[in-house]
Amino acid sequence: MNRGLARSGVIGVAVLSLSCGAGSERRSDHPPRLDPAVVEQGRQVYASSCAACHGSQGEGALYWRQPDARGELPAPPHNAEGHTWRHGNGMLYQIVRDGWRDPFNRTARLTMPAFRGQLTPAATRAVITYLKTWWRPEQRQFQWEESRQSRFPPDTMVP
Amino acid sequence: MKTSARSCGALLLAAFGAACGADSAQKGVVPDGPPRGELVAFSFDVSGNRLLKAYPQALYQSRDAGRSWTAIPLPPLIGEGTIVAVATPAKAAGTLYVGGRGFGVIRSQDGGASWRRLNRGLPARKLEALAAHAELATTLYASVAGDGIYSTEDGGESWKRMDGGPGAQVGQLFHSNLAGSMKTGWLYAGTPDGVQRTMDCFCGWRPAGTLLGQSGSYSVVFDPDEPRTLYASGGGGLFRSRDGGENWERLPSEGAQTVALAFDPAAEILYAATREGVILDSRDQGAHWERVGE
Repeated sequence: MNRGLARSGVIGVAVLSLSCGAGSERRSDHPPRLDPAVVEQGRQVYASSCAACHGSQGEGALYWRQPDARGELPAPPHNAEGHTWRHGNGMLYQIVRDGWRDPFNRTARLTMPAFRGQLTPAATRAVITYLKTWWRPEQRQFQWEESRQSRFPPDTMVP
Repeated sequence: MKTSARSCGALLLAAFGAACGADSAQKGVVPDGPPRGELVAFSFDVSGNRLLKAYPQALYQSRDAGRSWTAIPLPPLIGEGTIVAVATPAKAAGTLYVGGRGFGVIRSQDGGASWRRLNRGLPARKLEALAAHAELATTLYASVAGDGIYSTEDGGESWKRMDGGPGAQVGQLFHSNLAGSMKTGWLYAGTPDGVQRTMDCFCGWRPAGTLLGQSGSYSVVFDPDEPRTLYASGGGGLFRSRDGGENWERLPSEGAQTVALAFDPAAEILYAATREGVILDSRDQGAHWERVGE
């Protein structure tokens, strides 16, 4: 009977592991290591195209949480203090390419200018990859999970 | 040996239940007598075409624009706390979520005959508000007092903390399909200091304009067909915004101290409820009000 109990316990534990396994499996999935060559390309793109507004270390404008005197939202940080990590790769790519306007801006201008035509798809992907170097592990994990449903467009592979 | 295996399996299943946050279904029971306490939640269920109003331990529905009400059966676990909110997904007819301090989030898909508790990952004891996504049937948001906003994308099976909330007590939470979000829409929160909003990517809460009333618990609703139109009550006034909450105008409230609002987009009726559960309606966007059932 003891052997039976032990066996049923093993089976039970196996069932328990299988049943809870979906969650465990997700937890063991981590974002991939960033490609140093892509990060370096992204660093250069960031310095020339983004740093002027978002800060050389991704720190953003000083009072970025509130609209400025013109009623526009200042450039937010891209580092761990900001909210860039909350968006999947696809959404970040779209914002860089097409720009974005806060619907509550008091001017008609884009809040974030569009870089379509200025940055190649590969450069856009590279600069987004560079931003990830500033995020905490849990932020990278969150962003990676978001990116499952919001992926880079297929034509953005870095050559 | 078979018996031992069965009991062992039962024990392990119980352990599994605890580990994975599952909760067995409870049958709903119609409460006896009139509702006790003041009205705590009021909303219009678009997919079910009905008004819902809740008291601390009771829930009622009306399918005739508030003229008559019938009780919805609730499970005994309601007694562990007090109801704070009712949420109905826009595209899942018959699905009803009830949120409460103490018992957390429960769901019925059969008109209240049976209920399941859905609190995996949610600190349910301090739940203060609950909202369904404007379009996605299985996405909901819950506000936990002193903690923040939690979200589920699987109908409450699992919850994840999204941010620290608007930094004030949330009396009411709703999700809007207003365009311009970096994700799928916006969340609005009625707080003692007015209305706050954030994109549903949780990129930061900001005040949604300035209401001209006194401090108070604000109830806020929107028109899903015209998401820039919002209505808020509280602070001794009734207000309307036509620009997503940037600017507000005071509306006549006929002297009634309404504490909660609901909006039927198909019939274009704005409802207001008093603490005692008296319902008023307006068919001209809040310009004129009439008591329902009189």
